[in-house]
Amino acid sequence: MTQLLVVPFERPYLARALVELLLLGGLAAVVGVFVLLRRLAFLTDALTHTVFPGVVVGFLLGGQSGIFPGALVVACVAAGLFTLLAATRRVGEDAALAILLTGFFAVGVVLVSRRPSYTADLTAFLFGRVLTVRLSDIVATAVVAAVVLTSVAALRKELLLVAFDPESARAAGYRVAALDLALNLAIALVVVAAVRAVGTVLVIALIVVPAAAARLLSDRLVVVTAVAAVLGMGSGWLGLLVSYRISVDHGIRLATGATVVLVLVAAYLLALAAAAARARLGRRPARPGAAVAVGGSALDAPRPVAALGADARADGTQVASGTADPGSEAGPGTR
Amino acid sequence: MRLWETLGDGYTRRALAEAVLVGVLCGAVGVHVVLRRLSFLTTALTHATFPGVVVAALLGLHLVLGAGLFGLLVVGAVAAVSGARGGGGAVPSAAPAGRGGRDLSSVTGVVLSGGFALGVALMSAQDGFTRDLTAFLVGSILTVGTADLLVTAITGAVVLTVLAALRKELLLGAFDPTGLAAAGYPAWLLDLVVLFAMEATVVTTVPAVGTIMAIALVVGPAATARLWCARTGPMTALSMALGVVASVLGLAVSAQWDVAAGGAIVLTIAALFAVSLLIAPRARPASLRSPAAEPASAG
Repeated sequence: MTQLLVVPFERPYLARALVELLLLGGLAAVVGVFVLLRRLAFLTDALTHTVFPGVVVGFLLGGQSGIFPGALVVACVAAGLFTLLAATRRVGEDAALAILLTGFFAVGVVLVSRRPSYTADLTAFLFGRVLTVRLSDIVATAVVAAVVLTSVAALRKELLLVAFDPESARAAGYRVAALDLALNLAIALVVVAAVRAVGTVLVIALIVVPAAAARLLSDRLVVVTAVAAVLGMGSGWLGLLVSYRISVDHGIRLATGATVVLVLVAAYLLALAAAAARARLGRRPARPGAAVAVGGSALDAPRPVAALGADARADGTQVASGTADPGSEAGPGTR
Repeated sequence: MRLWETLGDGYTRRALAEAVLVGVLCGAVGVHVVLRRLSFLTTALTHATFPGVVVAALLGLHLVLGAGLFGLLVVGAVAAVSGARGGGGAVPSAAPAGRGGRDLSSVTGVVLSGGFALGVALMSAQDGFTRDLTAFLVGSILTVGTADLLVTAITGAVVLTVLAALRKELLLGAFDPTGLAAAGYPAWLLDLVVLFAMEATVVTTVPAVGTIMAIALVVGPAATARLWCARTGPMTALSMALGVVASVLGLAVSAQWDVAAGGAIVLTIAALFAVSLLIAPRARPASLRSPAAEPASAG
């Protein structure tokens, strides 16, 4: 067993990859819980794509070591832009996000397409090379993880309040826009940290999937966060191992980042099956109102009203009893 | 303009024809995507059809066929996991609030990344990994063949006919799904029609501009047109025109300065949108507000 599970990691490059994936898996999963609560999956996807031109410019200017600062600058700009976009409501938020996403991305593609080593570079930027991670990358990831986790922990209560009830947060005098910006920046930082290892495209899986899977298994925030972190780290380890084993033992090359994501998706499907089984056994009846628990652990929060007010209505049954609009619940599709 | 100089070449003419066809098709479908706020789902569709393309390439089938079949699978998966209305969640308010990890947003995210990872994993087992991958990701409109053109034209004709025939019902469904159901229409069937139109569009667009940027062609022109028009008729027309203009301009830019065609087209779209955002009249006509905006302003 140890032969199978541990020995490969005695190779230094695999050990470095493992450390990086464990760090990223845990970090992304914790941030992912907030993404889940706020339903920011699309914004996360947009951020992952917008970072791309930063990666390219950084690489063109400073080589490998230029990637991190380049991505960092663009990610901060993008996070600010998105926060602004959410505040103004001239266009549908999702349409604007889609255009920003592809626009930024296209800048990156156009820049890369001028290079002679076009295709190889593009692939490396998009999908990362976790097996060539260096010690300095790990240090950078660790620093980012420390910063993000500390600030999320410090702002935990405020972020939760905004997630569940943005109106009363605003009424209580919290600066909702600033908190939104903080969360967007946290997501952007995670994306930046993950760029070298798993590339800009697959980061979204590390962020969204563990939290979604964990949420299927529990209603309690603490449990969801813990399970998500464990899932994220475990999938990183297992995915790396599977990718290594298949490549070495069976001679089939399997991209590491993609394997990690596939393991995550498998975990999500398992969680889905477990949740369905529990519901069938009657231990977790589908019920309105029951998700409300002490300490703000009812997780079906509405999105910020300004952006997606309609959801608050549809969610009403689970956030607080009696506020549901029967019209939306009995919509045509549910019949 | 180097594009006009190379107009004698077959590949330039084919690329131009493809750009025009794709522009018209995406512009028309995009109107429904924007009005129903399905951008994220469309993004997920573009990403999730990726493994279908790869499998088709491995098996030697036509790319569009593989992507199309896989896309159907994906639509089914999203609908099944996120609840009855998930896939066709025409209106956010009616989209399943869902229990936790299975709301539309999260499920879309999972499907998106899972599909993409599957495609990458499949591709990585192949030789010639990076070159083919690039073609799928950012498209290669200059290598479009006559068969591809034919497929695009037929798909476009079918989709446009369906959209035109069901125009009234689809619009009613976008703005007032409850009213649509109350009037006795099969609402879910109409949602499904929109979904399939989206799917067909995405599948035929992907070979031209690539997996990641197809979404820009669908959403961009429609969102830009939305800034200028208060009525859906002119909006659709403008959206189609913008789609064509952006595609052709992008091609010209790409030929002129020797950059990736897909990237140039998307940048043109983004520029048109940004300029429109700055100079379009600010008054927001109430007639075109999607119902989702109402509770936001009320609450």
